[in-house]
Amino acid sequence: MTQTITRMFLPLVLCSTLLGQLTDPPASLNSPLIPKPTLYDSVVKIEVATQVPDYRTPWNSGRFNGGTGTGFIIGPNQILTNAHVVSDNRRLLVTRRGSSRKHVAQVRHIAHDCDLALIELQDFKPFEGLPYLDIGGMPTLESRVSAIGYPVGGERLSVTQGVVSRIDFSNYSHSRADSHLVIQIDAAINPGNSGGPVVQDGKVVGVAFQGNTQADNVGYIIPTPVVKRFLKDISDGNYDHYMDLGISPFPLFNPAMRQAYELPADGKGVLVANVVPGGPADGILERGDVLLSIDGNAIDSAGNIRIAGEFVDMNEIVERKFAGDKIALTLIRNGKTLSKELILKVFPYSRIYSIQYEKVPRYSFFAGLVFQPLDLNLFASFKFNDRRLRQIFADYVSRGLFKKMEDVVVLTRVESDRLTTRMGGFTGMVVSKVNGKEIKNLRQLHKILNAPNPPKYHAIEFNGGNRPLVVPSSEVPAAQKRIMAQVGITKAAQLD
Amino acid sequence: MKKLLFVLLFLQPLVAAPEDSLVRINSTIQTYSASQPWEKNPPRSRRGLGALLPGNRILTTAAMAADSIYIELQSADSTKTVPAKVMAIDYEANLALLTPDAELGFLAELKPTAIASPAKPNDEIELLQIETNGDPLSTIGKIRSMELLSTFVSGRYFLGYVVKASMQTSGNSFTLPAFQSQKLIGILTSYDSKDQICDVISVDIISAFLKDAENGNYEGFPSLGIATTTTEDPHFRGWLKLPENKGGLYVTRVLPKGSAAKSGMKKGDVILSISGFAIDRRGYFEHPGYGKLFWPHLVRGGPVMGSKIPIEVLRNGEETTIEATLQRSPSPLVPGYLYDEAPAFLIKGGLVFQELSRPYLEAFGKDWATRAPLNLLDVLSSPEDYEKGRRRVVVLTRVVATEATIGYDRLASQIIKSVNGKPIKGLSELAKSLETIPKDGIHTIETDKEPYQIFLDQSLSDRVDQDFVTRGLPILQRLYKTE
Repeated sequence: MTQTITRMFLPLVLCSTLLGQLTDPPASLNSPLIPKPTLYDSVVKIEVATQVPDYRTPWNSGRFNGGTGTGFIIGPNQILTNAHVVSDNRRLLVTRRGSSRKHVAQVRHIAHDCDLALIELQDFKPFEGLPYLDIGGMPTLESRVSAIGYPVGGERLSVTQGVVSRIDFSNYSHSRADSHLVIQIDAAINPGNSGGPVVQDGKVVGVAFQGNTQADNVGYIIPTPVVKRFLKDISDGNYDHYMDLGISPFPLFNPAMRQAYELPADGKGVLVANVVPGGPADGILERGDVLLSIDGNAIDSAGNIRIAGEFVDMNEIVERKFAGDKIALTLIRNGKTLSKELILKVFPYSRIYSIQYEKVPRYSFFAGLVFQPLDLNLFASFKFNDRRLRQIFADYVSRGLFKKMEDVVVLTRVESDRLTTRMGGFTGMVVSKVNGKEIKNLRQLHKILNAPNPPKYHAIEFNGGNRPLVVPSSEVPAAQKRIMAQVGITKAAQLD
Repeated sequence: MKKLLFVLLFLQPLVAAPEDSLVRINSTIQTYSASQPWEKNPPRSRRGLGALLPGNRILTTAAMAADSIYIELQSADSTKTVPAKVMAIDYEANLALLTPDAELGFLAELKPTAIASPAKPNDEIELLQIETNGDPLSTIGKIRSMELLSTFVSGRYFLGYVVKASMQTSGNSFTLPAFQSQKLIGILTSYDSKDQICDVISVDIISAFLKDAENGNYEGFPSLGIATTTTEDPHFRGWLKLPENKGGLYVTRVLPKGSAAKSGMKKGDVILSISGFAIDRRGYFEHPGYGKLFWPHLVRGGPVMGSKIPIEVLRNGEETTIEATLQRSPSPLVPGYLYDEAPAFLIKGGLVFQELSRPYLEAFGKDWATRAPLNLLDVLSSPEDYEKGRRRVVVLTRVVATEATIGYDRLASQIIKSVNGKPIKGLSELAKSLETIPKDGIHTIETDKEPYQIFLDQSLSDRVDQDFVTRGLPILQRLYKTE
């Protein structure tokens, strides 16, 4: 995956020269002393102080850190920036161009799947009268664009010019799980530019957001269809995330396969190889269906459609839609052509595969044993090698495992103590049962382990484990107190 | 002084000098390619030593003979050679018995060695190497401990000696005979030059191997067919109601159709004693002569195939005794090794099917345990979940691009469930299913992963197969008879 090659620009340093062409337009000769505010004045510097939880020690406060990024005013008290600039923040300060006064701001909407956020100032008055930047369209290949921002290394505004070199679907590294339309420009968008506007003919054509560690002088910007989608999604006051059909398509190139599904050799139709249980297509599509069209656009045997002359994946239709929107599908099932309508919906379980922010890590601490629910944050913090755990993680959505286990509860640590001295060997495994009961989520595990009148021994069974982990309940109260004091844990559980 | 000389003279004709039984062994080893099982990997050569036994038999390690395509015996000075063949081989015990292919050649000039009686801890033994000029090089080592060692096939433990010796690194691999009082006491399998420690297969195991091989029909060592874990954890012991004065080994898995399964042993039983020897919390027992030994020695180190051994177990807190009739472990769902056995495979229209084996997974490289496909690793670690209706697990391992596999190029590691509605027990069954002409001329192959169903045009794939033959693929399938 190319996820690893992209990086975000928050704390790094500027090293570019300003291009003469795009310096401030000179104030007209007979204007008063205060020049009329320009587009540049609406580009602001964002200073952020962050607190990032440590999933290895979920009871601790985490790391305090910070950095700077850029934002721009797009409406009354609406400043657009990158999600990664303001994620996990505990304080946001916004500075105007040519001023050192810091204004307190807060996040109003944040979309980690497309790395965009809308922030607002506690008091917008000092910014009133500044122009709002217009969100434009898609720039053409080879056209010139200017990235404006406040990269670290200098106090003043920086402008870099570049050429649009590629328009493609690519990874958005902030969530580590999403890919959308991306514009690549040949200008080195410099660290600290993150969240800044990229303009052409006075209109925003993108938001600078990530670079490429394997190539110099390449920058990536979020194009306006993605920005507009974000703005529309939050217009009802809520961000619902990108939608997904919840199916796995399989190309229908093979003549024998086409024949088995009674299809002519016309290169049309894609196979539904899997339907995510509980997803939007569950109950509407079935494994073995052949999708012929989506919202009136004919689907070819690779799952591609043609929109406005462009050859794109059929998911492009879904990319542009919102929760509650309908999708019209025609399909062939058992030789019959059917028309179906599917309603897109928020599907939170798939977020197990994304890095999540603004979250307090959940855990349950029981007599030296640390239990945590599995997600990508946990995966990124621990090195999990257990085969069953990796299999469960891979199948969690596609095989609907979330129905049986809302949380995949993992024994992540065993703290040293005289009680736990022989309890090693179980870390990194998924809990299947506690005292004979199947474990569905962390709260239930916590409840069973801490129930009044416990059995003489708690027996914790693991998926693929060769024996239960046994904890004598009579020794738990003293051990819990002792180990919490030793390790420095003040709260035995964080269940929400 | 005079008396000693007399004794020596007297003994000379009776017991040959150990070096007179030494034979150089050069073997050419060639394995099959895991990803293209119709062809072999480049050959490698292996050099070691063997000891001539009466009856023109040469004892060496299985490592010297496994997957060999040619074995040559060489005189100590490397001047004379005789081709040899394998009479008996035990990969698990790491022993092989060779014999000259036709004429005796230089072997007629050698003097066979006798087998020594069992050694004891702290005994001194003589390790023999041969220098380039053919002179023997003797090193005296001391048995530091008697232990169960796994010297070739991983996870199979047999009684061996851990010997402290300072040896000279030579051109030979460390397959060297060891002697005591001029008689063969063991075979050295590896030497750690840093710690100056070597592993030696014990004479106890060698004797059992030779006895089994006597009638020309080698059977192998018996096995209980169980997996176990220790009971050192006091809380676990409490939960099991294991008394403090007992040891105990917790049974985590009982292989179906194995000796233990037939005796009624169950997962969750705690083994307290085997053949009257108490088993401690880590699985060791006190051997009267050898000290603490790991429990499998009670199964492999003494009793012969078919003998009955009493096993005391704790089940649900109560002690009971079961009797196990010892036999070879049954053929597992996923074979742990495939020496001297060409891997079974089948190509149909460009789809390559193989039976899952540990060597197949190991071919994914050093980190195979994490790098190999998850669904296949899961079969290896939890075979009980896949055993039903299967003899072996058939996997679509790769797809060769052909006219019949258009659109399938990226499929790999798909476990085959059924073909044309018939469950697939093994590769032979798959071959049979694919031989029948399906409805509409299209084979339906059901798998465990997306797209769950693969379709193959019967006549087209037959044509493609013919094309493979003309394009130089030696064979399209290699199948084995099923029981």
